[in-house]
Amino acid sequence: MRPADGMRRMFREAELGVRPEADERVLNDVLEAHQRSDTKRASTRRIGRKAMRNPITKLAIAAVVTVACIVGLFMWKGTGSGVALADVLSRIQQVSVYMYQMTMSTTGPVIDDEPLEQEIHGTVLMSQDLGMKMTMEVDTGMSIPGHPGATAHEMYMLPQQGKMVTVMPALKKYTEIEFDDTEFQEQQKENNDPRAMVEQILQCGYTSLGRSTIDGVEVEGFQTTDPNYQGGMMDRVDIKIWVDVKTQLPVRSEMDMQMQMGGEMHMHMVIHDFQWDVSVDASEFEPVIPDDYTALGDGPMKMPAINEETAIEGLRLCADRFATYPEKLDMMTLISLVTESGIADDLDDELLSANDENLTPEERTRNTEERVKEMRERLDKEISESVKEIMDVMMPIQAIGTFYMTLDAEGKNPAYYGETVTPADTDQVLMRWKVSDTEYRVIFGSLHVETVTADVLAELEAALPKVRAIEDTAK
Amino acid sequence: MVEDTLLVLGFKRGRREALRRIYAKYRTDMLKLAVVLAGDANMAEDIVHDVFVKFAQSADRIKVTGSLKNYLATSVINRVRNHRRDTGRHGEKALAEATLPTSAPRSPEQWATLSEQLTLLAEALGQLPYEQREAVCLHMQTGLTLRQVASAQKASVNTVKGRYRYGMEKLRSMLNNEVEQCDPQTA
Repeated sequence: MRPADGMRRMFREAELGVRPEADERVLNDVLEAHQRSDTKRASTRRIGRKAMRNPITKLAIAAVVTVACIVGLFMWKGTGSGVALADVLSRIQQVSVYMYQMTMSTTGPVIDDEPLEQEIHGTVLMSQDLGMKMTMEVDTGMSIPGHPGATAHEMYMLPQQGKMVTVMPALKKYTEIEFDDTEFQEQQKENNDPRAMVEQILQCGYTSLGRSTIDGVEVEGFQTTDPNYQGGMMDRVDIKIWVDVKTQLPVRSEMDMQMQMGGEMHMHMVIHDFQWDVSVDASEFEPVIPDDYTALGDGPMKMPAINEETAIEGLRLCADRFATYPEKLDMMTLISLVTESGIADDLDDELLSANDENLTPEERTRNTEERVKEMRERLDKEISESVKEIMDVMMPIQAIGTFYMTLDAEGKNPAYYGETVTPADTDQVLMRWKVSDTEYRVIFGSLHVETVTADVLAELEAALPKVRAIEDTAK
Repeated sequence: MVEDTLLVLGFKRGRREALRRIYAKYRTDMLKLAVVLAGDANMAEDIVHDVFVKFAQSADRIKVTGSLKNYLATSVINRVRNHRRDTGRHGEKALAEATLPTSAPRSPEQWATLSEQLTLLAEALGQLPYEQREAVCLHMQTGLTLRQVASAQKASVNTVKGRYRYGMEKLRSMLNNEVEQCDPQTA
């Protein structure tokens, strides 16, 4: 035996015991410290702006981003006018059912300055009467044990039922978002992709790209790089659409949009392979939800109506939860506010670090099966809870952005000053929009609302710090 | 490793039972480490008490991607060092002065009970220069490799090897009989 072995044995066999009473006292001190800390943490995390690094949270956010983008697109309310492209819009509206393929890539520092690279491939079926069905493959580029990087989703917009249903087979989950009935019907009439796209282009300055051929079809292209596209929320846009010169129906469209959000975020969407006047059975639009799938949350989520009251409710939720207002009202800033706020941030890196890939062969043999099963169940639960928690906050906040975009589309000259106005700035103008030729509606930092004359508004805005507001400079 | 990871997971999610189990699993090891490092049972109790209280408050910050035991042990080591710095005990006691509190009678209110062997070991370690004592304890008690000890002591591996070798030689000379009794081949 080596000399060190004898010493090692002595270290091992030198015993230390604890007295139960004293041990209980120390344990109580430890547990009390934990409880105090836990209480403090619960109160501070509501206003803390913590970074998220957790892949589970990212996956949940990626799902929310997908839903939010599509809901945002759907809820867009435009007021079209124009010339050549107006004929295209009119022509699309005559088609009762059509299909197209969609590919959307999103790259950029969406979360925690780390790139989110999400790719969606989808088939979209549109019906004037029945709504929209989108079958899509979402690849977040993230690998989480037990969950493939790419997951299939089915999304249904069902105007007759006033709801949107998303089915996620990989998670055996589904979501239901209910819309205000009348608003849903109104939006449904006016806004279906690619009609929304044509309609938005019509509101912007656009140019003809001339004639060319795509897949043997003679087309004419139109392009807009007008920053006011989508309410001026993007730093740079480049939208192109090619239309069949004979049928006046779209053949292909491409959208490139960039915005700054801590870094440059880029969205690229291609819509192609249109099929017009497709025959369809109503059952195609009935969501198929297997019995063993469960709903995210306790029941259907409610998408608030888009109006002044719900926008204020969204702002109030921001003030209460984050002690601030969103700096801007674009979708990604709003998503960023939610994701950086610490919501769903108590998910644990350790859960992932203890997955089966990290186990030693010995540990794997000993207890992996049961542990991994338990952990995967927990993982599923974590993702579901995260999506629900984020959506509960996201939808009211998204209502603010949609309200702003609606005002902008209606030519009501909105402006928003969230970069400098906080809940403490009770008498400062947080947001305003035109209600008549001489009057403006104003939401103040305290969230009270007044209608003021243009002269009064000018005085109020002169008192604001000189920073860039989100304002439609074209108005 | 998996159990510790799940315990930390539960702890971070606010589960008291997880913290209770972490405490039950490691408090004896940490007390023992503190005793052999500090050479003072009362001080060791205070240090380990503080380590667990601090740990209980750190659910937001802790990221145990490595070893929970090493995390707690590092906390103990740092507190022993801080305590030594705060009380100005940089100088080493002469052998003649060595009347270490580990050998003092323990009252019923006190937390730890030390076996005779641990008392002897702590007293012998207490007579080593602190760097040597720490090198020996981190390797023998906590199971760190000498390279890890070098990292913990911010010293070269050769320096740590020297500290460990000298420390072990002195320990053996002081505890020769005890070491032999622990050796089944000589007992």
